[in-house]
This record gives sequence, structure tokens and C-alpha cells, in this order.
Amino acid sequence: MSFSITSFFDSFKSALLYAPVTIKLTAITFVVSLLLGAVIATVRNYRVPVLSQFFAAFVTIYLGLPTMVALLLYNLLFMTFYSDVAAALHISVPISDVNPIFIGYITLIIGTTCSVSESIRGAFRGIEKVQYEAGYSIGMGKFKTLTRIIFPQMVPILLPGMQNSLIGLLKASNLVSAISVVEIMTGALLPSLMYYSYLEGYVAAALVYWMIGAAIEILAHFAEKNSGKYLKRTA
Amino acid sequence: MGNYFSAERFINVFPKVISNLSVNLHIVFWSMLLGTILAIFVAVLRIRRVPVISGLLGIYISFMRGTPLLVQMMIAFYGIPIVLGNLFLNLFGINLNRLEPVIFVEIAIILNEGAFLGEIFRGAITSVPSVQAEAGYSIGMTGAQTFYRIVLPQAFKVALPHYGVDFIGVFQNTSLVFILGVVDLLGKAKTLGAATGHSLEGYLSAAIIYISFSLFLKGVFLLIENRLNNGTAKAV
Repeated sequence: MSFSITSFFDSFKSALLYAPVTIKLTAITFVVSLLLGAVIATVRNYRVPVLSQFFAAFVTIYLGLPTMVALLLYNLLFMTFYSDVAAALHISVPISDVNPIFIGYITLIIGTTCSVSESIRGAFRGIEKVQYEAGYSIGMGKFKTLTRIIFPQMVPILLPGMQNSLIGLLKASNLVSAISVVEIMTGALLPSLMYYSYLEGYVAAALVYWMIGAAIEILAHFAEKNSGKYLKRTA
Repeated sequence: MGNYFSAERFINVFPKVISNLSVNLHIVFWSMLLGTILAIFVAVLRIRRVPVISGLLGIYISFMRGTPLLVQMMIAFYGIPIVLGNLFLNLFGINLNRLEPVIFVEIAIILNEGAFLGEIFRGAITSVPSVQAEAGYSIGMTGAQTFYRIVLPQAFKVALPHYGVDFIGVFQNTSLVFILGVVDLLGKAKTLGAATGHSLEGYLSAAIIYISFSLFLKGVFLLIENRLNNGTAKAV
């Protein structure tokens, strides 16, 4: 057995065909997690009673749970309880018609929300109190100050961390292959199953992931260059 | 939940699952030990800017950071026997195809950690202001003395929190190894589930063990950090 270039190209083409699945999974999860993470971080930053304690405990505990364990657990819960819940809600879609990628979305969104909320909480600390006071002094409310003054200033602080989260999420999205979602890795293996050319399949998958990761890095580089402009002008 | 979950089964399964924690810890121990050593070399070579090697290391780090660990494990599992199989068979008489999968898992994690920890160490060493090294030179220390006595202790403090996070990450990443057939926490939970037809208790045990051990590790690293900060006055 040796490395065959033709099966590598077959796998590469097949992997590219399924790249949109991974990109969509990564992008949607990232945007939703960013919004939810911002809400959780804001709640914890303003110390909203009950909610902030709940989120603090939840985030701390949940960050200890590996994505793979969560994924298998949710998948199992879904398999076990789907028919009961569907019957109670009068949903007539059989379990075989439900795409398992939904479980992937839920798992990745909860996990990423927790880690992103921690980064955003860190960014809150990077904003001086004067900035809030400046907003209040010209008659802005709490919410307006937050969206118009505080959040925009957090962007340059957050960008490097967000780049890491996004690449981490891209890699974590690979785990959904364990619940039989066809994404880049399983896509690259489809031709391999016929010829037992597994190494070629995995190398092809790695190459596609690497390309997407490099694209994210380039985009993040441009974003970082542009977002900090107002800081550099004053310095 | 009735039929799906029973406390009795859970109490029965939990000790069986936790007994396989040693498999995960074995992987974590060897991967972190050898990964740290590899990372020190990576960091030093990157800082020294050794011409060709530095460029190659850049590609290596980019690959390790840009591809999923599971894919790396699979490449190690299928690739190493193909590339090095004949060599090992002729030289040492070892058939790589017969090796335990856990060895390939460890090789993959070691290489992965070499890149991640290498970047952490490099960042920590370069974060020490150059004035500190100059202070060492000014009192007549040699390059090596300055590095070991002045730069390294300060860099260690910078690197430690990141090292702790990475350590916990490696522990959590061991949850992938069951895919290659290593019977770890999840592997045990899975086999027990297949044998009894009730998987929920096993997975729940694995989740509880992962969460509590991660929190435990976090606590240990916080303790070490506080110890280290004892000597310094609190700034700000």
C-alpha cells in the first residue's frame, strides 16, 4: 500500500464538494454564538441578579465538558426522546427525516457561546469607566451607550481572540462526523471507502481544512488592520 | 424519563467508566511531557530565526493549528505505518501495523502540542522586555546566564496561565481517541452501552468525570499561579 495521487485527487474533489456544509455550520454557529455570548457577557458585566449567577455557574461547568462528549450525549437524548416529544407536539416528521446536523448546530452553539462570552467579558474590562460616563453625560441611555460607545470599542480588543475562536470552531465542526453528518472529512473519505485509500482521504481533508483556515487568517488580518484605525490616529 | 434512565444502572456503570480515566491520564501525561520538550525546541528555533528550519516550522505550526486534531490522528494512524513501516520492520523488526492505536494517538497529540505550546513559549519569551536582558548583560552575565536566570523565570510566569488552559484542552481532546478504538472513558461508556442497551448512564458518567476533572485541573493551575505571584507586589 502506498500513497496514490489519483485517489488523493478524487478525495480532494469530494472534500471540496462538502466544504460548504462545514463553512455553513461554522459561519452560522459563529454568528449566533457571538450574539448570545454578547448577551451573556453583558448580563454578567452588569451583575443582573439571579441571571448572572446562573450564567457564571453554567459557563464554568460547561467549559469543562468536551465537545465530543456533549455531542454524543445530545445525540443520544435526541434519539431517545424524539418520538415522545414529536408526538406531544404533533410533529409528524419521522426521526429518519431529521438531519442530524441540527444536533451539531445545538452542540457547537452552546459550547462556542460559553467560550465567546468569556472573551467578551474580558473585553469589557478593557473599556474604561470614563467611556460609559461620556455616554451618560450626553444623555444616552444604558442601552444606547452600550451599542454606540462600548461595543464598537471592544471590536479591536476582541478580534485576535475571535480569530482563534473561529478557527477553533472550524476544527470543532469536524466532530459532527461522529453523528454521521457528511462534512469535509467524511466527504473526503467517500472515494476512500471504495479503494481503501484512507490516508489519501484524510490528507485531502486536512488540505481543505488548512485552506479554509488560511482564508480565515487572511480575513482576520485585514479586519485587524482596519478596525484599530482610530486608535492609531491618536497615538 | 422512566425507562431510559435508572439511578441503579448509573451507580453500577459509574465505577466501570471511571476506572478507564487512567487511559486518558496516561495519554495526557506522555503527550504533555514530550510535547513540552518538543515545544521548547520549536520555540527556541523560531526565536533564533534559523534560516530554513524557521520557515519549515512556520508551515508545521500553521498545519497543526489549521487542521482538526481528529484528522491529524487519522493521518498519523494510517500514514505512519505506510511511510515508516518498511524501515521499522527491517531495522528493528517492529511491525507498525500491529502497534496499539493509542501510540499513534499520542504521536498526533505530541506533534499538535509541539506547535501550540511552541507558540505559547515563543510569545512568553518575547514578551519579556529587552531591558531585562540588557540588565543581565550590564552586570557581566553571559548570554546563557541571562536567559536562564533573568528571562526564563519571567517568561515562565507569563506562559503558565496559557499552559494551564492548554493542558485542560489536551485532557478534553482525549475524548476523541475512542474513534480510533482506544477504550478510554467514552470508549468504555460506548462498549457498556452496546452490551446493555442503555447508553445514557455511561455517557452521563463520562460527562461528569470530564467536567469534574477539568475543574480540578483548573483549580490546581490557579493554585500554582497564586503561589508564583506571592513574591511580587500587586501592580495597579
